[in-house]
Amino acid sequence: MRSIVQQLIHGLLLILGVTLISFLLMVWFGPDQTYTLIGKNATAAQIAEVRHQLGYDQPFVRRYVDYLTGLATLDLGASNSSGEQVTSILKRTLPISLALMLPGFIIGNLLGMALGLLAAFRRGTWSDRLITGLSVTGMSISFLIIIIALQVLLSTPYGLNLFPVRGWQVDSISSYLTYVTVPTLSLILVTLGYNTRFYRAIFVEESSREHIVTARAFGASPATLMWRHVLKNSLVPITTRFMFSIPLVVISGSLLIETYFGIPGIGKVSFDAITSGDQPVLKAVVGLTAVLFVLIQFVADFIYRAVDPRIA
Amino acid sequence: MIIQRVLEQSVGFLRSDHERGTVRDGTWSRLKQDRTGIIGLFIVTVFFLISLGVLLGFLGQGWSAADGGRWESASSNHWMGTNLLGQDIFQRAIFSTRTAFEIGVIVSLLSTLLGALLGALAGWYNGKPRKTWIDGGVLWLTGVLDSIPFYLFVAAVAYALQGWPWAMHVAMVATFWTATARLVRAEVMRIRSREFVLSARTIGLPAPLILFRHVLPNTLHILFVQATIAFVAAIKTEVILSFLGLGVQDSVSWGLMLAESTQEVLAGHFNNFLAASLMLFLLLLGFNLLADALQDAFDPRQAAL
Repeated sequence: MRSIVQQLIHGLLLILGVTLISFLLMVWFGPDQTYTLIGKNATAAQIAEVRHQLGYDQPFVRRYVDYLTGLATLDLGASNSSGEQVTSILKRTLPISLALMLPGFIIGNLLGMALGLLAAFRRGTWSDRLITGLSVTGMSISFLIIIIALQVLLSTPYGLNLFPVRGWQVDSISSYLTYVTVPTLSLILVTLGYNTRFYRAIFVEESSREHIVTARAFGASPATLMWRHVLKNSLVPITTRFMFSIPLVVISGSLLIETYFGIPGIGKVSFDAITSGDQPVLKAVVGLTAVLFVLIQFVADFIYRAVDPRIA
Repeated sequence: MIIQRVLEQSVGFLRSDHERGTVRDGTWSRLKQDRTGIIGLFIVTVFFLISLGVLLGFLGQGWSAADGGRWESASSNHWMGTNLLGQDIFQRAIFSTRTAFEIGVIVSLLSTLLGALLGALAGWYNGKPRKTWIDGGVLWLTGVLDSIPFYLFVAAVAYALQGWPWAMHVAMVATFWTATARLVRAEVMRIRSREFVLSARTIGLPAPLILFRHVLPNTLHILFVQATIAFVAAIKTEVILSFLGLGVQDSVSWGLMLAESTQEVLAGHFNNFLAASLMLFLLLLGFNLLADALQDAFDPRQAAL
């Protein structure tokens, strides 16, 4: 009970911090939209009017508290640039980003897990060295290089020319597959090196624990050891990584991929919001991510307690 | 002989522990035997010399002169051909080495220092004798910074400070220090209960002296590895930011060259892309190999796993 209250306070402090820092950065120091909205030759009264509408004339604390109450009541306001409600923007763009990022995220993690398991299982052999070597190589290639190379190889006449160069006109399964393939492959290749290394390290650490050594001494077969003991015990760090990567992959990863391929998802919307100073959109994206993070921490904590009674 | 050893040991735990602590004689000899680590060190050294050559004015000075035709192919005049404006791609790729080192060195130094300082304070002022707000504050700040989507944060900082050439550096330092701080905090908490710290306390040395003279040098192995990792991360982030238009200004970098090439490759001009990505890949590979080798050399027990 006491720890739940502590968790709650901890979570609230985290949300306050994230919203405060992002508010300072994106709203207080962010771009001023008055003159983009108003055009040339405005009177002083018109300027004051627009600034009032945008809330620029309010003191800092007032604006920040307004933001928090808006976030708490899910009243996120309307975009400054298009006038569209932020909730409707999120409803439109979030599914696109999820459809775009999730396949690559899941396949990348599963592949990394399989390779990491193989490398840990054959630790010290040539296949382990090959996998570790390839993952270091993969970690040394920039995201942008992978995207450009795959685009040239798969969607231009200089390569196979199989897929559209950019864009997102999805109305059926087959059109979804043609638009999602190149981004998904890029995402898998970018994350595979890091994933493999991470999972290999976890599996290696788990398999050198004492109970594994004992089980091996008692003659358990390597396969049983890996599946029943190592993999099962590794589930805690694996779920943690999985859950904590979701918000970051969906927002940060999609920002680059969507900007590059011109896909109207949440990443592109937030990047455009930064450069145009569309504060309601930014505030919603960052605030909701923070809330999501705190929720994930709660769930992770809950899972730990369920999996490992010692923590509770 | 024996007396000397006993004397050394008894004085030793009052001396800064790094003389027989974590960064010890064996490290370099272990590093020398790591073949891939030496390859990494070699690559990094070559790139460092190139960047030094650029800095001193020997190499890549013609990077901005537009003295060729548009998109010329490789020739004896222009080894990698020219770009849209007729600038020499080879020269630009060489000059960008300096840009990369400038960003990498500044960001990795500052973020490692900041992480070491805050992590050490947090670890030292955690728990015994009493829990303090310093530890809570640092933990909270790392938690907050880690909860903001990375590119969104960096883009926001870069945008808020737009026009100022150091905006990108500030953004990276502000986020990169958290990883170092966490590791240093844990290590300081571990070291704090060691005997030499206890003895230093017993004879009444002031806490800051113990922390910065005797405890922090023992985290050097973490700092070295983290600095190389931050270097890699900084160069990679520069590429993304330059593509988004928030990166390097009034100069040239591999990120800018790649950003230029995104349009060119669709028209079949690959020189910009090939030059920039080859250099970028080699340097990052060198640093990654070096980081791995350093980690193994500092921690042979872990490396044996």
